Amino acid sequence: MLFKIKSLSKKFGKTYVLKNINLEIENDEKIVIIGPSGSGKSTFLRCLSTLEETTSGEIFFQDIKLNSKNTKKIQGKIGMVFQNFQLFDNLTVLENITLAPVLNKIMSKEEAYKQARIYLKQIHLDKKENEYPNDLSGGQKQRVAIIRTLMMNPEVILFDEPTSALDPEMINEVLALIMEVSKKNITMIVVTHELNFAYDFATRVLFMDKGRIVEDGDKEQIFHHPKTDRLQQFLDNIK
Amino acid sequence: MEQFLDAFYKTFIYEDRYLYFLEGLKYTLIIALFSCILGLIFGILTSVIRDYHKQTNKLAILSKICDIYVYIIRGTPTLLQLMILYYVVFKTSTISPIIVGILTFGINSGAYTSEIFRAGFDGIDKGQREACKTLGLNYLKTMKHVIFPQALTKIFPALGNEIITLVKETSIAGYVGIVELIKASDIISSRTYDYFFPLIVSALVYLLLTYLLSKIMKLMERKLNHAI
Ligand SMILES: Nc1ncnc2c1ncn2[C@@H]1O[C@H](COP(=O)(O)OP(=O)(O)OP(=O)(O)O)[C@@H](O)[C@H]1O
Ligand SMILES: [Mg+2]
Repeated sequence: MLFKIKSLSKKFGKTYVLKNINLEIENDEKIVIIGPSGSGKSTFLRCLSTLEETTSGEIFFQDIKLNSKNTKKIQGKIGMVFQNFQLFDNLTVLENITLAPVLNKIMSKEEAYKQARIYLKQIHLDKKENEYPNDLSGGQKQRVAIIRTLMMNPEVILFDEPTSALDPEMINEVLALIMEVSKKNITMIVVTHELNFAYDFATRVLFMDKGRIVEDGDKEQIFHHPKTDRLQQFLDNIK
Repeated sequence: MEQFLDAFYKTFIYEDRYLYFLEGLKYTLIIALFSCILGLIFGILTSVIRDYHKQTNKLAILSKICDIYVYIIRGTPTLLQLMILYYVVFKTSTISPIIVGILTFGINSGAYTSEIFRAGFDGIDKGQREACKTLGLNYLKTMKHVIFPQALTKIFPALGNEIITLVKETSIAGYVGIVELIKASDIISSRTYDYFFPLIVSALVYLLLTYLLSKIMKLMERKLNHAI
């Protein structure tokens, strides 16, 4: 088991944003999380990646309890792709991709460069390796960010609305790369509003509302046979 | 006209007085250069400690000390700091006034530089640190490779201003007997009873210095910006 989440709650100030979430996530699952704005999707991912401390409850990652003491043990194993890319503007594309694996001594600089170039070629950005992020389009930035995460050989990658900051014509190139990555033996959890993509990609779909996981099932069930009115309404609104 | 030439002669030529100016300029430059380096070191060190505390909650006491240092220095006049160091702290020691000057201006500039860097670090999108964290980079690696370089580009103009301010402020070093540029011109005025030339020349030298400095900073800034 990859993640075991036990009665996870999170509050900001006085309001609970996540309420008693219990969930188990197996290796290699491809999970999509859907839900209305403010339902806690981002906060949930941020708790899984330890960017946010939990208020109560526990999260185990490969039997390691996630807390500030164990950050070293999970170093780079839980990758994250952000809505607004978060590439490092002071570094070139190649440096962005190779910074973490080299500094963390996962690879030598030569190995990292070699691996990075293989990836860059796959996404047809090999000619851009010496350019800076500001010279790339949004879609290119996000694809570089995905590769940067892959370079750490993570067990799981969390995607928080990876295409919602992109112009429409760039969405597909990013989704295509995510589909490509999903062929690997790697667990992926994607928060997205792209339902067509979700349908192609997911082996499991979670519907969140008001800080709870309201439905949890395969895509057939979630998209075609919702059990709750809330999910039905959400799907009607989004279509 | 004759009077004018005579004053010029007395100020610069007679008894090789121009050497006073050169000597004064030399000390102004030495003090400015070394206190600038010291200021940068203090400023970077204290701002990183304060930032480390802000990000991790560790080093609370050290960070508090840095806060107090910045608070005291920014809350008191530089001249007072110079006098305290010279007449109180190093009263009995035989340490050269030049060193006292360098220390004073270094400590002083360090506090202002610390605030400039702090604003720079705070100005970086916190998502950058989060990206580093999910890539398994620790605080120091994140600071060194991502936050510091980006902050430096942003604060460069402010840093340039601080350095120019520092160069001008070294002019009070004369109060503790250091013969820097202003003091040199003062000495000469007291002999010639003419203030015009010595003061104008000092002003021109300072203008030239600050002009050159701002040119250099502009060049470096362009280089930094080019990388981004
Ligand atoms: N750092 C924070 N401080 C205070 N409140 C926060 C913070 N982060 C999120 N919230 C609140 O928590 C709730 C859940 O936010 P979250 O970003 O997790 O929702 P979301 O499902 O990702 O929404 P969206 O689809 O708009 O991205 C919102 O009401 C939000 O205002
Ligand atoms: Mg969100």
